[in-house]
Amino acid sequence: MAPQGPRGLDADIGGLTFALSDAFARVAPAVSTSLGDPASIRRWTDLALGLAERSPGVAIAFIEASPAVLEDLPVAGLERWVNQGRSLIGGGWRSARLAMSYFDNGAALLGLVPVTALDHLVAVVGLLSETAPEIAAGCIREAPAALADLNPGDREPFLRLLESVTRGSWADTDRCLERTPALLGAVEPAFRPGLLELASSLVEQVGPGAFRLFTEAAEALAAIAAGDRGDVLGSARRLGASDAEAAVEYIKSAQSVRSRLSSEQERHWFEAGLGVLDEPDGSARAVSWFRLESVGSLEMLASLAGRVELHDVGSVLRLYAEALSGTQVLVQPRDVLVRRRIGWGSEGGSTTDGVSIFLPSAVDTFGEHQANFSVYKVHTTHQAARLEFGSFRFEFDADGEFLASTSVRREADVDNGRRSVSPGRPPMRRYFDLFEDRLLISELFAVVEGTRIDARASGEYPGIRNALRRLQDHEAGARPDVEAMPLRQAFVENLQRASLGRRDLMRWPADKADQLASAVTTLQIVERRGATVQDSAEVAAILYDAAASLPNVPPRESGGGWSVPGDDTGGTHPPPGATSAKRHPGASVEVPFEPPPQPGHRGEFKPELVQLLATMADQGEDAFGRCLARQDLEELLAGCRELAVSDNADGDEEPTLDELLDNLQSEASERAAADTDEEGTRESNGDGSDGIEWYRYDEWDYRAHDYRPAWCALGEQRAQQGGLDFYDDTLRRHHGLVVETRRQFERMRPESFRRIRRLEDGHEIDLDEAIQFHADKLAGAGPLARFYSRRNKIDRNVAVALLLDMSASTGEVIGEHNKRIIDVEKESAVLMIEALEAIGDAYGIYCFSGEGRENVELSVVKELDESLDDRVRMRIDAIEPVQATRMGPAIRHVVAKLDAHDAKVKIFILVSDGRPEDEDYGRDRDEREYAVHDTRRALIEAKRLRIEPFLITVDSEGHDYLGQMCDDIGYEVVTDIEALPRRLPRLYRYVASE
Amino acid sequence: MFETAYEQKVPVVLKGPTGCGKTRFVEYMSWHLHRHIGNREEEGVPLITVACHEDLTASDLVGRYLLEDDQTRWIDGPLTRAVKFGALCYLDEVVEARKDTTVLIHPLADYRRLLPVEKRGELLEAADGFLLVLSYNPGYQSALKDLKHSTRQRFIAIEFGYPERDQETEIITKESGCAADTAAALAKLGDKVRNLREHGLEEGVSTRLLVYAGKLIARDIPPRRACETAVVWALTDDLEVQRSIEEVVTSIFED
Repeated sequence: MAPQGPRGLDADIGGLTFALSDAFARVAPAVSTSLGDPASIRRWTDLALGLAERSPGVAIAFIEASPAVLEDLPVAGLERWVNQGRSLIGGGWRSARLAMSYFDNGAALLGLVPVTALDHLVAVVGLLSETAPEIAAGCIREAPAALADLNPGDREPFLRLLESVTRGSWADTDRCLERTPALLGAVEPAFRPGLLELASSLVEQVGPGAFRLFTEAAEALAAIAAGDRGDVLGSARRLGASDAEAAVEYIKSAQSVRSRLSSEQERHWFEAGLGVLDEPDGSARAVSWFRLESVGSLEMLASLAGRVELHDVGSVLRLYAEALSGTQVLVQPRDVLVRRRIGWGSEGGSTTDGVSIFLPSAVDTFGEHQANFSVYKVHTTHQAARLEFGSFRFEFDADGEFLASTSVRREADVDNGRRSVSPGRPPMRRYFDLFEDRLLISELFAVVEGTRIDARASGEYPGIRNALRRLQDHEAGARPDVEAMPLRQAFVENLQRASLGRRDLMRWPADKADQLASAVTTLQIVERRGATVQDSAEVAAILYDAAASLPNVPPRESGGGWSVPGDDTGGTHPPPGATSAKRHPGASVEVPFEPPPQPGHRGEFKPELVQLLATMADQGEDAFGRCLARQDLEELLAGCRELAVSDNADGDEEPTLDELLDNLQSEASERAAADTDEEGTRESNGDGSDGIEWYRYDEWDYRAHDYRPAWCALGEQRAQQGGLDFYDDTLRRHHGLVVETRRQFERMRPESFRRIRRLEDGHEIDLDEAIQFHADKLAGAGPLARFYSRRNKIDRNVAVALLLDMSASTGEVIGEHNKRIIDVEKESAVLMIEALEAIGDAYGIYCFSGEGRENVELSVVKELDESLDDRVRMRIDAIEPVQATRMGPAIRHVVAKLDAHDAKVKIFILVSDGRPEDEDYGRDRDEREYAVHDTRRALIEAKRLRIEPFLITVDSEGHDYLGQMCDDIGYEVVTDIEALPRRLPRLYRYVASE
Repeated sequence: MFETAYEQKVPVVLKGPTGCGKTRFVEYMSWHLHRHIGNREEEGVPLITVACHEDLTASDLVGRYLLEDDQTRWIDGPLTRAVKFGALCYLDEVVEARKDTTVLIHPLADYRRLLPVEKRGELLEAADGFLLVLSYNPGYQSALKDLKHSTRQRFIAIEFGYPERDQETEIITKESGCAADTAAALAKLGDKVRNLREHGLEEGVSTRLLVYAGKLIARDIPPRRACETAVVWALTDDLEVQRSIEEVVTSIFED
């Protein structure tokens, strides 16, 4: 026999030929078995002979590798594989050796990747064969091990990456081969393709050095908190499409940025960085932006980090406001009010409509977080103080604490002047009607009342004084230029400055200093302790008289030098000429009065509108229109200076009068509805004629941080009945499991056993009682011999409600046995019933679905206090997927049932497929946040009622939207749906025994 | 009212949230009645208080035989003692007691004014000055722990609430020894926090806690810190509510 000597390189053709035919002979039987048909065998032989022409040694390698290779490689791929090997044979002996090595490793490689993917590896080897043959050989040698470390899906992309790395810089090839599997291994499989894609973009865009960047990126990504990785990688890929290097820098900075910013804020910062790319020299600037080396980036970070969002502090502020004002208050973002279009404009700042406090959606007045939060706090305190200290409780003819009311006298004067006066007006309106210039009086009243409230708030809440003063200073510094204002306007502006405590910022013609000085003194009346809104009205009236006497002439005509009043040294005295000009105001043209803006924390103050709305809401309960006819309303609104009304219908900013009326009416009736509706569980038209009882539930709007009152209607009815087969079938099919579960549940009993004492008969003797009995007996007073005790399950007092999702999505078929989610849910319900019957806990079973907020359906399979009978069993059969998944109201309803049930431990279990969705559950169908927040809220409500909620999501495809939200709620994702019937009782045992 | 009830021998239940002064009220009344009506100084303690708990049995109230050198000795329980002496018997947090215990007081609480002492086969008639007073906190409104109607309707109920702000200020000043303006601020805080009762706070802050805060402040603990420990953390574990109350505290008290 031929020696198994070195093959092919040392030119002994004769020996080689022999070796060749020997190899042929050895593998032929195996090869022909795996190839089968003669045509394929012929083809294989031709390929081998073809190779032998180029290099007999390579051919031998091919032949010897064939039997093993053919196990993984279809015949069709054989030719490609051979061509790959052949392409490696270049001129010298080294290349032949590479080709041989390639065939030698064939079986290992083809066992891992399809033959097409090997094109990349061959390309790498080909590229290296000239420059670095050692590395090339190493590549072939090590590739199988490297590939084996990767997930199947990542292998081809990895080879592609290897090829591009080699094309960019061959020196990186071996490092890439060696390190990539470990780098990829450090992140979850789901993220690896994205990382590889980023790596390819890097290679394309950066060329040499790309691999180093990739390494950095992969390491940085692995260091990022697991929950954030997906987001970061997603953003990085977006960025990587245009600038891969910047993307790497982004990944590297992401962790530290995220530790300082909320994810929302981080997005702002990221988007700004993306924007930088479009600027000239964008690439370099983007890199330094994300490397946190650009001034712009750092400044933005600082301001974002200091910024406080209402989103984050809304609920705290709400409780705070409620504590202060003692009424139910909502805290909502300012734009909610603007969108409602009931007369509030888009001017910034905070405000209140009498029931809600509206705050800006973010505050970044100061650089620092705490200071910005204080701004929110001052805003909230001021607005809550308006409610607390009665800004809206003005009465027409009531006297103030310090000033007597002149309203009645003034009204008489006005009546003499034959101004039309309509009856039934809210007092605030009646008061404003007393004055010729309603704009001026409402502005002055706002300044005065704002002053009073600020003074009152800092008197009552000394803790906010510093923050208030700081904010007032800030606001005073941002006032418009008073010296450019016409005279009357400047008068009001100066009062505003005085009211912010910055009299030093007042500027006023020196010759009229007395007027302003006495006005400021008057204003100070409302700063006294105990001043009421009536005082404010009187002070405003006095100031009105003073202001009205001033001509609203432009500054040039109003007199020369402006100075700080009372500060004789600072100002220039007016030239005599100017003084005389002022004496004849008629000579110059007056300009219309434009109110200077209100400081942010005081915001738009609309007492007239608030009183009107409150009146409307009070009357709204019984047929609104009757009490306050539309004409009356129209008339009332027409004169209302507080309203921003536009004349044409397309005016986008401001509503027309008609529109406004509609909005106001609906607002008022909504409010009336909310008033009658405590707790939100009102029962409407529950006549039960169709077997459906209707309930109303609030829904949580996470943007507004508040409930939408009575937002959803839920109809409760008995579930349909089907046959008994399903129940029995399930028991049969899961016989083993049923028995096992029952046994496990029965074993649970002792945990809940409790000793009952003082029995005449029992398991144990209670020593204390026995001694007592003995003593009694000795004394001749022995009553009954009740010194036994017994352990009894009487004390186990658990009620559980099981709520099943029967939305359309549960009709989806999944799993090996082609079961629908709903069927698995039903089977689980059967098992739970069996288990719960064994342990004796009270349980209810409900299903829900629905379409839209007005039609949430809840079917009752079994009530908590109902006993198990065939009807219940038949109802389970009839459960079918119906419509959408509006979880919130269903949860609230079932939780309300549990709450009404008398049990020590109450458990609520929701089984769903993890997708709360409904047509109007959120802004659109795709918006999940809203639905998820509402669902979570409903679960938290349950917790507050001492009901333990537990959420089970049946989900095999990552539709799990709730998981992220339920960190403090019992929660489990069952990915293997078939496991649910087994899992559910087990989870219950766990929850119920805690 | 209480005085009249006492004179007319109508048993009383005191309803009210925790720490609003029910116990203190009974103590005061016993002192007051002792001075103004009764002349029983020689008869000893005019008030017997029993704190009720889950395992309180009838013999705990009525009395039991004890062994003593093969002999037995009868010991009167607190209720029996009160019945004999004609004292006020105050059963604190009566809902906590076992149901059979509450039934025991039925004959005492109506026109019969009798206490059956089963073990001695006696039927004690209550002495003149005896009056049964229960306290009961409707805050724990669980159906499990509610007074039975048969029990309930044997008593007249006096509702207790938290005191008005001025009164509370006075109480805090007196009880804690802190400055009047601090006490006023604490009373204000109490008022504000009680506004939150519907939001995860089962009960508003009690006057007792405010007094504690006052005591801390009186010993130079900074007010914000004192309120944090005595009010915020004592009241709730809900972080959000804690945070809100803290904001109220920092608004009312300067740094």
